[in-house]
Amino acid sequence: MTNEDPDLKFDRSLLGAEQDMGSVQVTREMIVRFARSTGETNPIYFDDEAGKKSEHGSIIAPPTFCNSFVNGGTRPDIGLEFGDLSLFAGQSIESLAPVKPNDSLHASTKLKEVYAKTGRSGKMVFTVWQTSFKNQDGGTVALVEESFVSRKRTPR
Amino acid sequence: MYLDLHSHSVSSDDSRATVEQYAKWVGVLRGKGFQIDGFVLTEHRKFDFDQDYSALSADSNVLILKGSELDTNFGHFLVYGVTEKLTDRVNFSDVHMDGLELVAAAADTGAVAIPAHPGRFGIGLCEFEGDYSVLHAGERFNGSNRPGEQERAEEFLSGLNLAGTGGSDAHLVSAIGKCMTRFEGSISDETELVREIKGGAFSPVWLDDTQQG
Amino acid sequence: MNDTELYYEDLDLGDEIGPVGRVVTDEQVIEFVTVSRDEVGPSRFTSAEVAKSEGLPNPIVPGAMNIAIMSQLITGWSPTVTLRKLDCVFRGLVPHNKPLTLKGLVTDKDIVDGSPRLECDVTMENEEGTPLVIGKATVIVRMREG
Repeated sequence: MTNEDPDLKFDRSLLGAEQDMGSVQVTREMIVRFARSTGETNPIYFDDEAGKKSEHGSIIAPPTFCNSFVNGGTRPDIGLEFGDLSLFAGQSIESLAPVKPNDSLHASTKLKEVYAKTGRSGKMVFTVWQTSFKNQDGGTVALVEESFVSRKRTPR
Repeated sequence: MYLDLHSHSVSSDDSRATVEQYAKWVGVLRGKGFQIDGFVLTEHRKFDFDQDYSALSADSNVLILKGSELDTNFGHFLVYGVTEKLTDRVNFSDVHMDGLELVAAAADTGAVAIPAHPGRFGIGLCEFEGDYSVLHAGERFNGSNRPGEQERAEEFLSGLNLAGTGGSDAHLVSAIGKCMTRFEGSISDETELVREIKGGAFSPVWLDDTQQG
Repeated sequence: MNDTELYYEDLDLGDEIGPVGRVVTDEQVIEFVTVSRDEVGPSRFTSAEVAKSEGLPNPIVPGAMNIAIMSQLITGWSPTVTLRKLDCVFRGLVPHNKPLTLKGLVTDKDIVDGSPRLECDVTMENEEGTPLVIGKATVIVRMREG
């Protein structure tokens, strides 16, 4: 779905088309670095002893861990002809299952919509993607919806 | 009668509040002694004809009305009394529409369009030149203003001698009712809301000023 | 980590979470952007020069890091809560090395498919009180046994 702004020029064949984003091997180090960099204090995210005693049997990743693999560059270029600055506009992440060290996560994404609006920064175009992360057992661990905004570098 | 004239539900792209949660939160506010009779959903660039909140309204004893917030070349406008006559004439998703033509189209079809957050940087009416003699009112209090924007709105509307409304511009549940419009008359539907806005017997209020006892 | 155990029965609409003060340092940003690789090139997140060349006033905190920081408001609230979903809108650029305030408010409470849940408004504000990130958190909370 997209609003019918004649200025919205992009590759519309990508709307709804599933795209493979590849896989990543999760390590203990990644989990600990993510937790440490974001100020997590719950020992379940970095203390091996606490992890062993927990229901999970090991440390687990914080619930937004899959974000560290969100990178606009790994998605296809939709060829949007608007703006010269792209920023992350918002995200929804639903954590469905814990992510543990040695998990292998596979991501796939699809373009949900592209639309225009105006705000303090002037005219903006939003591109929304839906991404799912599955582990090595085929279980979905996270569902993510990301919104990116394109605008002119110098706000009017 | 106290109504929040500017709010967004999950039907707007950047809100995270459901209408049900807004209605529940009104109950929380009333429990704390604040006066609030209802709110108007002014979704971005659309009007939800298919949504019927009458049952929720009755169950929660909260008046829930519908309107729209539209992007125009004169900034954003709040539109009340939206009908299919208006949406047939104006493309609500067009962010380039002419704001003054919107005001005229609204007037022709029994609706009313007023500038939203006229002091807002980048998209407030105060940043554009035009003949604003056709306006009935403007949004004087907006709950999402940043430093400086409230003052700009008040100065602008005072300069035009325009009556001012109040609305929270809520995008989160707990923001509903942050500021509202106090109407002298009684309102039970969108038609009466349009009548009262055109009548001018109202003033903007902050939630804190409505606390009783 | 707040050790106070909060249970579904104890919580109600209007209950506050936090506020929690945070400052995101340059070093934390570098650690975040290198979670899955040892080195990355300079970017708007780590380099003043690159940030300015892109029209940004200073290096900014990555959006993905902002949402992770927001989630910590919930995960650090009580050992009895689990963050199920976090849905955020980024309304402003988040700077490095500046005081930020994270706040939350319980806005709904229900048992969904047998699971006791809360919904909470969450915000990240700058020093002036301007919300830079707003969002909604869906939280699973334990019930008291018996």
